[in-house]
Amino acid sequence: MDAQRKETLCAAGIDVDAALARLMGSDALLERFLKKFAADANYARLQAAFDQADRDGAIAASHTLKGMCGNLSMTALFDLFTRQVALLRADDWAAAAALMPDIAQGYARALQAIQACFG
Amino acid sequence: MLPLESPFASAPVPNTVLIVDDDEINRGILENIFAPAHDIEQAEDGVQGLQAILRNPDRLCAVLLDVVMPRMDGITVLRRLRQAGLLQRLPVFLITAEASDSVLKDAYELGVMDVISKPIVPFVVLRRVQSVVELFKARRRLNNVVLMQQADLLAKAEQIVQLNIGMIEALSTAIEFRSGESGEHVRRIRDITRLMLLRTELGAGLSAETVDQIALAAIMHDVGKIAIPDAILNKPGRLTPEEFEVMKTHTVQGALLLEKIPQLRENEAYAYAYDIARHHHERWDGRGYPDGLKGDEISVWAQVVSLADVYDALSCKRVYKAAFPREQVLEMIRDGQCGAFNPRLLDCFFAVEADLARLYEHA
Repeated sequence: MDAQRKETLCAAGIDVDAALARLMGSDALLERFLKKFAADANYARLQAAFDQADRDGAIAASHTLKGMCGNLSMTALFDLFTRQVALLRADDWAAAAALMPDIAQGYARALQAIQACFG
Repeated sequence: MLPLESPFASAPVPNTVLIVDDDEINRGILENIFAPAHDIEQAEDGVQGLQAILRNPDRLCAVLLDVVMPRMDGITVLRRLRQAGLLQRLPVFLITAEASDSVLKDAYELGVMDVISKPIVPFVVLRRVQSVVELFKARRRLNNVVLMQQADLLAKAEQIVQLNIGMIEALSTAIEFRSGESGEHVRRIRDITRLMLLRTELGAGLSAETVDQIALAAIMHDVGKIAIPDAILNKPGRLTPEEFEVMKTHTVQGALLLEKIPQLRENEAYAYAYDIARHHHERWDGRGYPDGLKGDEISVWAQVVSLADVYDALSCKRVYKAAFPREQVLEMIRDGQCGAFNPRLLDCFFAVEADLARLYEHA
């Protein structure tokens, strides 16, 4: 991966080296999965679930996003989703919802970076 | 002991890793890690995964199982695999971000091999999974070796049994040879005894194995004749009373001889052989020898061999007589000209005599 792409992705909270290590050094896989993350519908589902106060829907979407962010070493987002899933499971809806602005910001940054690199 | 890599131990070794996860990225990551060394199959939820496993578990060397999945979760899959008795031979790894205490407890209680947390670290997953896969492979090879060795031992034991029977037949035949008998006599006594015990009520309560032991014991009924001098044993004419007294001792001599073979004494056929050698000249009316046993004091097997011996002697040429025709043989036995027998024994004998006569057709 060229240095500029790597810098762009890292600046958006993606630990590129850790992600590549998980993918046994495959740039192609990282690109494929980052694109998949960008195209994935779970973030939209999460927003809709909070709009409609749909607890199960929120847990499902947040859990899936947590997994993706973990795999792609989006460290900050992974932490946010991990906390959110735990709060949702503990039925603390307000605290889980309160994380949404931070999540939205991190998600937008990551999306922007991915589009800049591979769009 | 065969080495583990012995060609005898070779059997198809499963090498397919099944990845069960609803998330495409998770599947892709794991596939990327295991594809260099394994065939990979994938399933997108628990239902699909369970079906893929049950279809043919033996092709799989490991299952990597997510916990939270649509339709059927990983813990339920694990429970089904346990019910199917598969967790003993197929290592299942839970790959999960939900490594809560309750999930861990459930998983280990159900028999999961290991729980690996997500996001995964490649060398950790690879190392943990492959060590177990290697262990299972070695265990399977070892099992194969043990099975081969077991079969080998059984075959050898069977050879030894056959050799024993051969030795007993050879010894008995050699002894009968002195009185001009062929090996056929010994084998016919064995066959008549077996047939009468298997096909009539006389053998009631005896297992097939016991009947075989009695038939083997029957072969040895006349081994005591080795102690009888040629002049008496092979005398063409009638024996004098003194000579007959000597001749009669072959029963007791036979029992004594058998008693002196320690290997035989440990054999299950020994008790029968001893009894038959000693008592195959007893008579139902108590006028036989050597012990003058009467009626049911004589064991069923000794009675059967006694009748078989008379029947065979009458049916064949002997040094002191020609062979009698079958009709005459039956008449002589029926009329008690050749000994007094249990009426029930005679009934059974006549019931199967047609089959017994067939033993002489090839002679």
